[in-house]
Amino acid sequence: MTAAVASGAAGTLGRRASPGQIAVGLAVALFLALFLVLPVARVMVAAIEGPDGYTLDHFGDFARTALFREAFANSIYVAFMAVVLATLIAVPLAYLLARFRFRGAALIQTLGVIPLVMPPFVGAVAMQLVFGRNGSVNLLLNEWFGFRIPFMEGLNGVIFVEGLHYFPFILLNLSAALSNIDASMEEAAQNLGASGWTLARRIVLPLALPGYVAGAALVFVKVFDDLGTPLLLNATNLLAPQAYLRITSIGLDDPLGYVIATVMVAFSLAAVAASALVLRGRDFSTVQRGGGGLGQRELTAGRRIAAWVFISLVLLLVLSPHIGLLLLSLGTVWSFSVLPDAFTLAHYGAVFGQSAHYLGNTVLYCALAAALDVVLGTAIAYLVLRTDLPGRRWLDAVAMIPIAVPGVVLGIGMLRTFHGINLPGSDQPLATFWGMLIVAYAVRRLPYALRACTAALQQLHISLEEAAESLGAGKLATLRRIVVPLMAGGILAGFVTSFATAAVELSETLLLVTREADAPASYGIYVYMQSPAGRGPGAALGVIAVVVVAVATYFSHRLAEIDRAKRGKLGR
Amino acid sequence: MSGSGVAVEAVSFGYGQARILDDVSLQVNKGEFFAFLGPSGSGKTTLLRLIAGFGTPGSGRILIGGRDVSRVPPWRRNVGMVFQNYALWPHMSVGANVAFGLEQRRRPRAEIQARVAAALDLVGLADYADRRPAQLSGGQQQRVALARTLVIEPDVLLLDEPLSNLDAQLRVEMRAELVALQRKIGLTTIYVTHDQEEANAIADRMAVLDQGRIRQLGRPIELYDRPADAFVAGFLGTANLIPAEGGGRWVLRPQDITLVEAGRGRLRGRVVQAEFLGASVRHRIAVGDAVLIVDEPHRLGRAAPQAGAEVGLDFDPDRSTRIAD
Amino acid sequence: MRPAVIAICAVLPMAALAQGLEPRVTIVTSFPKDLTQPYAQAFEKAHPGTKVEVQNRNTAAAVAFIRETQSSPPDLFWASAPDAFEVLKKNRLLTAYKPKSEGIPAQVGSYPIHDPAGFYMGFAASGYGIMFNTRYLAANKLAAPKQWDDLKKPAYFGHVGISAPSRSGTTHLTVETILQGEGWAKGWATLLEIGGNLAAVSDRSFGVPDAVNSGQYGVGIVIDFFALSAKASGFPVDFVYPELTTIVPANIGIVANAKNPNAAAAFVEFLLSEVGQEILLDPKIRRLPVRPTTYAKAPADYPNPFKDRSLGARVKFDADLSEARYELVNSLYDRIVTFRLKELTEAWKAIHAAETRLAAKPNAEARALLTEARAKVTAVPIGETEARDPAIAGAFQEKRKDKPVPVRQAEYEERWDAHAKRAYAEAKTLADKAAQAAR
Repeated sequence: MTAAVASGAAGTLGRRASPGQIAVGLAVALFLALFLVLPVARVMVAAIEGPDGYTLDHFGDFARTALFREAFANSIYVAFMAVVLATLIAVPLAYLLARFRFRGAALIQTLGVIPLVMPPFVGAVAMQLVFGRNGSVNLLLNEWFGFRIPFMEGLNGVIFVEGLHYFPFILLNLSAALSNIDASMEEAAQNLGASGWTLARRIVLPLALPGYVAGAALVFVKVFDDLGTPLLLNATNLLAPQAYLRITSIGLDDPLGYVIATVMVAFSLAAVAASALVLRGRDFSTVQRGGGGLGQRELTAGRRIAAWVFISLVLLLVLSPHIGLLLLSLGTVWSFSVLPDAFTLAHYGAVFGQSAHYLGNTVLYCALAAALDVVLGTAIAYLVLRTDLPGRRWLDAVAMIPIAVPGVVLGIGMLRTFHGINLPGSDQPLATFWGMLIVAYAVRRLPYALRACTAALQQLHISLEEAAESLGAGKLATLRRIVVPLMAGGILAGFVTSFATAAVELSETLLLVTREADAPASYGIYVYMQSPAGRGPGAALGVIAVVVVAVATYFSHRLAEIDRAKRGKLGR
Repeated sequence: MSGSGVAVEAVSFGYGQARILDDVSLQVNKGEFFAFLGPSGSGKTTLLRLIAGFGTPGSGRILIGGRDVSRVPPWRRNVGMVFQNYALWPHMSVGANVAFGLEQRRRPRAEIQARVAAALDLVGLADYADRRPAQLSGGQQQRVALARTLVIEPDVLLLDEPLSNLDAQLRVEMRAELVALQRKIGLTTIYVTHDQEEANAIADRMAVLDQGRIRQLGRPIELYDRPADAFVAGFLGTANLIPAEGGGRWVLRPQDITLVEAGRGRLRGRVVQAEFLGASVRHRIAVGDAVLIVDEPHRLGRAAPQAGAEVGLDFDPDRSTRIAD
Repeated sequence: MRPAVIAICAVLPMAALAQGLEPRVTIVTSFPKDLTQPYAQAFEKAHPGTKVEVQNRNTAAAVAFIRETQSSPPDLFWASAPDAFEVLKKNRLLTAYKPKSEGIPAQVGSYPIHDPAGFYMGFAASGYGIMFNTRYLAANKLAAPKQWDDLKKPAYFGHVGISAPSRSGTTHLTVETILQGEGWAKGWATLLEIGGNLAAVSDRSFGVPDAVNSGQYGVGIVIDFFALSAKASGFPVDFVYPELTTIVPANIGIVANAKNPNAAAAFVEFLLSEVGQEILLDPKIRRLPVRPTTYAKAPADYPNPFKDRSLGARVKFDADLSEARYELVNSLYDRIVTFRLKELTEAWKAIHAAETRLAAKPNAEARALLTEARAKVTAVPIGETEARDPAIAGAFQEKRKDKPVPVRQAEYEERWDAHAKRAYAEAKTLADKAAQAAR
């Protein structure tokens, strides 16, 4: 009886799933099922296939093998220490940016993206030339002081390179969180007698914590899953290289590689979930609509110098692969010397002659993949935050899985799933159609775009949409005229991250590219870099790719800024 | 007179055991200025949102101009709503904000221009069409929100605590302006507030809500003078509740009680505190375990009883309201 | 139009139209652009009307690609590693083809040029050897190594690089050559002693020449053309063939169910033709032609395995033996060298240190301890007969439902890993003790 009364009273608060929403939800679900779940499952199933039927023996083998246990522990250690290093770099920068008025701000913001815009394998080659055991820095150190620093050796080398590469994730997230803190909260605390360190500890830190944890979790998972850096540093006693070496060894169809991959995916997802749990109920930024950021102060002269020294040092470190790459692209022969023997523009000539199509393809594929990502990201964010569609949380969760899926696994899965199907109206297999490369890029980068879109929509007060609805705009018109324009900043941020990271992606590219004419720049760089004579042209192509992506990133940031400036801050 | 009447018929709403609205019925007449008054959590905003279409009642129905709109989405109701935070779109100019509803109705461009200008003129912001919302003060933003809603000539105007984000002085000014505007165009208006003074000042009639139920419905003065229960009595102003002979309680406003010499009057008490308010003096008087509040008009040369003094209290039962326990 | 077509046919009787070649041929290859591009251009010139589409992948990705794309495969697989071809052959992913070209001998060194079963054809010979950076060696005052045994010397500690045999079919051949040439136990002892000097074990064949080119380490165990082409590109590097080497062909094979079989066959013939063989002499390619007459056009110092009989002749390479334990050897090397490199090099460092002491101040007790340490660190955890046993070796091969194996790969791997870890730690302790004793 009670139940009947209760259900009789239940109404819906404007969030009943409409047929349109159901259709969008189904479309997104279909996309994820077809291009993520199915391919990954088809690869991962090898982890539980035994000689007769399915078995969990292989997981037992994993647990019994000392090497894997060590690799597991090493991976956790490396990921954790990389977070520590990234924190040491990112937190001071974010604080400087949020707290003080000074000219370096634009520089720091640029710093935030540059490291991500570097093809990983080229970056590591360049890093070796600069920081390797006989790289420029160590050759100089040895000549002047008679010792070397093993920057790039073993696990510490991995931590060094990864920390430098991924600190932007913390910087970006933390900066966003700090800019959402309202100056009045800080003033209230000051008014109550808190200042200096107490203020930072009691007010600023807790309020910035969600941003930091989100960034740190991302760094942890990315480092935990990263393959390129450990491989190039020959640090194989980590989970990702162990899985990769097993999966890609010729002729070995051995289940343990897939077991490791499964363990990695599960652990990464658990780490992301744990960080979400830590943050539950602590995401203050959404409550704090349009905070003005911390009150900004002038730096004293002494501190300004210290800040600049720190920034310059970080900048130098962060740019070292880029500097190395530039030198490589301009040098003739660079071997066991601080700088190349001589300089030339010939490599650029070689590249311009033959490689324009690589760049064209990169821009086309990555732009389309990023566009697909923001469309999916917006759709999922909207379904999760604005509707009661059953299963919407699942869409969100599944869309986050790619963050922990190695590119090789998805690449092989795509081939396995779609090679038997031909492109309609031709005899070309779907898997080798260039469009599939776009889909593969989009799937791997969906989590970035999704988080950016979700954050943007969370900041959008629902009354802005309701106002439009009550003025006669349907859901679609509201979406088009109100929601999407107001999410533009977040959507753009998601687009840029997807675009920039897709542009330097290699593992899927190598598996899915089938025709030279369809290949993107990352493939071109790889191909050049496979021969001694190709290092120069490969580096030149790398420099051009970095510049193209950086310019695209810069302009979209400018666009976002202009947009934000036009809008100002509203309705507190 | 413009607009339509609104009827709420036996509407319930809630999730599981949590009832947000419980069997609510009321009638808002055409052209009337109606207020939903209640504390936070009383369900007043939910009821307003159901009328606007942001939700479907679990049971019961809502009629606007005699048409059942319970299942009609917001964009087909022709109901204008002004949000507590105004909900102006920051990416559009003031003019574009106001024009939005007309564009959705596919009016000709010339008509839109003329009507937007007229609406902005009506709220005194004729020169602000090209500004961004962020460049306006809180009061100006409020007016834009109003113009944006009025320009579509809605059947009903819904206002959700529209003045709560303004400072005290501006609030009083805007209140008067709102009433004047409503009288001028005669549009059926429903106003949600938790401020009884605001509701008293502007509403023709009002409904007092508490815990998802309507406690009382009527003209402000009726509700003040003849509250149906202790809640309404207390919510609309300071009220002394005194047990009456033969059951029930008297509801006595502070000004309904007069202080007399000790030993006279219906009750006996001791002054706990006397507070000089200018036009009156507010006394807190302990009567047994209870403390009654009594306001006496202040007149030149008159000495108020001091704290600690024994006093008598008197009131007129024939002119007082008696409520059930 | 028509007269032009006729004219072309008249000029080039071998041209595409006359032979009925398909309009395109797709090739999956692990070779660099420097090699593929000249061939593609030359082939298209010789066969106008047929377009060459080259898909560049590393060998592992290429094999995975061919395995996953059976419904619509590429036409040709073109790569160095014979083992990759063996895998494809076993999986019936290649088509047998008998080349028509004349003038190519049956063998180079002691290795057959074409697959005897006819599933893949050798088009260029390569030998494994030692590449070194001359600037690096001069700066570190090191002599240029000549034989594998040179790489065992303590002087080269931390200066040598290799790619893992499990990742590079050609490194595997080098390892197998050493094992066959010196015998199982002695061969592993050599590998483990060289292992003690390794700076890194790369997962890519090209990782080693790349590091030697840039001077990250000074000496690399690489296939000849990497070194020769780097030298031709101006890097301060050089290369020697040790006595104990196998000259093996780099291969091409026609993929089963190729869509363009005629064009694929034409490409194979082109590779083996005089014109095709000459392209190998290009300074950016520098591979050894399989057609002996082509060497007449080569520079004077060009290695010629058909003339220089010492090249690759010392070992009679037993391909059946190699195949029987192929996966096992790879896995074993990874367990006891690649993944335990840190422990291995630490043990050897301690041994070298003790030996230096001992040389200055002989001591019988220390000598005995050291001999024991060396025995520990050079012992291989599985005997030769066991390693050939199909019941054990089979556990490392591709799993087949019709071929169940009694043991599991993971169990063996765990055993070897435990052995390596323990043995290297014990060797280090022994060596440290010896150093103490020699104080």
